[in-house]
Amino acid sequence: MIATPINLGHSDAAEQEAAYETHLTSRFGEIQVLVDSIIDFPDGLIGLGGSRYALLRTDAKSPFVWLQSLTDPGIALPVTNPHRFFGDFAVQLADEEAERLGLANAEPADVFVTVTAASALAEFTANTKAPILVREGHGHQVLNQAPGGAVKTPLFPGLADNTAQAG
Amino acid sequence: MLRITRRAGERVIVGGDVVIEVLEVRGATVRLGIDAPRSVSIYREELWLEIKQENEAAASGPDQLPELPKDFPPLNPE
Repeated sequence: MIATPINLGHSDAAEQEAAYETHLTSRFGEIQVLVDSIIDFPDGLIGLGGSRYALLRTDAKSPFVWLQSLTDPGIALPVTNPHRFFGDFAVQLADEEAERLGLANAEPADVFVTVTAASALAEFTANTKAPILVREGHGHQVLNQAPGGAVKTPLFPGLADNTAQAG
Repeated sequence: MLRITRRAGERVIVGGDVVIEVLEVRGATVRLGIDAPRSVSIYREELWLEIKQENEAAASGPDQLPELPKDFPPLNPE
C-alpha cells in the first residue's frame, strides 16, 4: 500500500528547503514525512499517548486518511473530516479547555474525528465526542460539549437502517 | 493508594502545582475544584476510559478500508 503524507501547510514550505523524515510503520512500511507537516500532540491522543503524528492518504478518492504515530510505529487511526458526513456537526469547547489549549478566540482549526472501522460500512462509527483539532502544527483531542456528540456515532446510518430492514 | 480525609473547604496539593479543593460534600456527592497548570489535562475517569477504548478500537481496525459503493450519496464537500 502506498501512503502519501498530507501537508497541512502550517508554514510556507516553498520558501525553505523541504526536509523529510523517514519512518518505518507497521501498517504502511517505510514512509517519507515532510517535517513541516508533522503534527505535535502535546498530550498525545487520549489513552494512546504519542506526541508526534502525521496524516497519510492511501486512497485519493477515500474520505478517510490515517493519523500515523511517529513515536509508536504500530499506532495509526483512520480519521475523517466530520463535516463531510454530518451536516450539523459542530465543536464546542468548555471555556477552560479552549483557554488551556490556546484555542479560544483563535483562527479555525482543521477538525478530524477518529473512525472505528469494521468489515461492513454499515458498522463504521466516528467519535464525535472527542474530535481532534489541528492548528499550526499542533493537535489536541478535545471533549466536544456540543449536543449530540457520541463516542460511537454511526457514519453510514442509511446503510445501517437498510441492513436492519433486510434482516 | 494514599488516603487523606478532608472537610469542605480543605485542599490537597499534588506535585507542588496542582491544587484540589473539596468545595462541597452533600450526601454521596463531593464537588471538587481543581487548579492545575495549562499543561495538565483533567477528565472524569469514565469519559477518559470511554475515549481511550474508542481510540484503541480505531487503531486496531483493518489495514485497508473498504471503498464507498459507487451509488453512495455524495458526501458534503470538504
